[in-house]
Amino acid sequence: MSHNQKRSKSIHLPQLRKAFALKPLALGIASVMLSACGGSREASQIYVSPDDCKQDNPEATGQCLAAYEAALEEHNRTSPKFNTENDCEYEFGSDRCQYVKTSSGSFFMPFMAGYMVSQLMQPRPYYSQPLYTSFSPYSSFRSRWVTSNGYVFDGDIRRRSYNAPSSTFEKKPTVNRTIKRGGFGSSVRAKSSWGSSSKSKGWGG
Amino acid sequence: MLRIASQPRPNWEQLATEFGFHFHTMYGEPYWDESAYYQFTLQQIEQDIEDPTEELHQMCLHVVDKVVKSEALLRQCQIPEAHWDYIANSWQQRQPSLYSRLDLVYDGNGPAKLLENNADTPTSLYETGFWQWLWLENLVDQGKIARNADQFNSLQEKLVNRFRKLKQQYQYQRIHFTCCADSVEDRGTVQYLQDCASAAGIEVPFLYVEEIGLGDTGYFTDIQDNPITHCFKLYPWEFMLREEFGDALETSEAQWLEPAWKSVISNKALLPLLWQSFENHPNLLPAFFEQDAHKAHGGKWIKKPLFSREGANISLLEDNQQRTQLSDGPYGEEGFVIQQFNPLPRYGEHYVLIGSWLVDNQAAGISIREDSSLITQDLSRYLPHIIL
Repeated sequence: MSHNQKRSKSIHLPQLRKAFALKPLALGIASVMLSACGGSREASQIYVSPDDCKQDNPEATGQCLAAYEAALEEHNRTSPKFNTENDCEYEFGSDRCQYVKTSSGSFFMPFMAGYMVSQLMQPRPYYSQPLYTSFSPYSSFRSRWVTSNGYVFDGDIRRRSYNAPSSTFEKKPTVNRTIKRGGFGSSVRAKSSWGSSSKSKGWGG
Repeated sequence: MLRIASQPRPNWEQLATEFGFHFHTMYGEPYWDESAYYQFTLQQIEQDIEDPTEELHQMCLHVVDKVVKSEALLRQCQIPEAHWDYIANSWQQRQPSLYSRLDLVYDGNGPAKLLENNADTPTSLYETGFWQWLWLENLVDQGKIARNADQFNSLQEKLVNRFRKLKQQYQYQRIHFTCCADSVEDRGTVQYLQDCASAAGIEVPFLYVEEIGLGDTGYFTDIQDNPITHCFKLYPWEFMLREEFGDALETSEAQWLEPAWKSVISNKALLPLLWQSFENHPNLLPAFFEQDAHKAHGGKWIKKPLFSREGANISLLEDNQQRTQLSDGPYGEEGFVIQQFNPLPRYGEHYVLIGSWLVDNQAAGISIREDSSLITQDLSRYLPHIIL
């Protein structure tokens, strides 16, 4: 019954136990992603500061600084944002978050922990992206590198060299403010109000 | 295919609480029912359900391909004209799908017949993928069911693998999950999918459909104003396309699960279109658009609205004449189809409907629902099954 079993071989029960679990537990299998499948890849280096970069590329101090500044700008634009310091620290660790106030509101965001650079020494334009890491025991990317849209790199933060998917360097979508809410969901109110026997049910079928 | 009475596990309600299965009883009526189970042979499962399910799915994809290339068919499916390109693009880009459920009439003999395809927002997923799986584990462990018993249910395994593929191949790093407020059942279904996606290493924030925002840059936003780039919605396309934010779909660049092309096959226009393309296929019932009803000669036919859920607004036609309304409801303004009446098999007092699941294009298991009436309604009971 092993090779042609028609049901799921095993189900990890603790993951589905809901009575005591406050937050979904991060599972230790998030590291399979840098496998061979999907998209092209860019040989990339991670640096924690412009000096770190210069040590590696003494002949490219200008590029190192420019890449850092580009990453910092991208960081300000695309970093994960949280309403409370608590939520931010839950994800990134204590003292890893900064308070930011802008014209569209205030929030907490993690510090940029490093930046990833591709093609720094090529004549073609180089790419640069901010990276984060977490010191929080609750986080699925504790001691790993993660991009602002949640891509977690394999291995721990000591690893500085990757073949990163080229999508890592794509410009991330951003929003400055939400102009409207409630534009989806109106049909439910209309259709669920028929008849007196209406049972406020969902829309699955 | 047998219905076998069975002793409920004494602690099952406590287990349900422990695992967060909160909708086992709805509106004072039992929904999860383990006082009996259905037993199939492996041959019944593989030949009569699994293989036809995958074949029917391919036939449905054929219909999608045909419809998105034809203005006349898009119109006949009541797809709003403003969204024709959006839907056609979603198909041309082969935007990935997650799952669907085919409802089949089957009594253990002969070919299963397709009643309809819940291709967009199927539910009873948790009960199938996890809860009936746990039931079988427990009963086998207690020696109440033979150790070599199996179940047609690789749903959870396939869902996690599908999410893993979405992450690796389609760069789904973070998926926002959403359903309507006020439905415990829908929230439970979505939580289960969050758990499956999370097991595949995907970030799984949740918000209600009504909370989705539109950002100044054209992206949809969550409550913290983060852009929504990938979104699982347990909310029908036929609603989304007609609501205010429908106009923002194209510029939002969001990737949806299910993708927009599913709007073509979650629509009951699928049934006559399948019959046109694959007339006399053993797993199809004859079906026609309302205006072609003259082609339906004699006998009993079921008239269903193009868009409807949970068996609402259905009537029975006999010899193209008499008309008995079988269920009430809010649907029907977009038109009707008729499908040859094929009664659900009856076991004692119970009529039985089989839901056959697909994850992407792979058959992944079945769910069984019983009702005391011929039309499966919202409050039918869910029963587990085994293969022996």
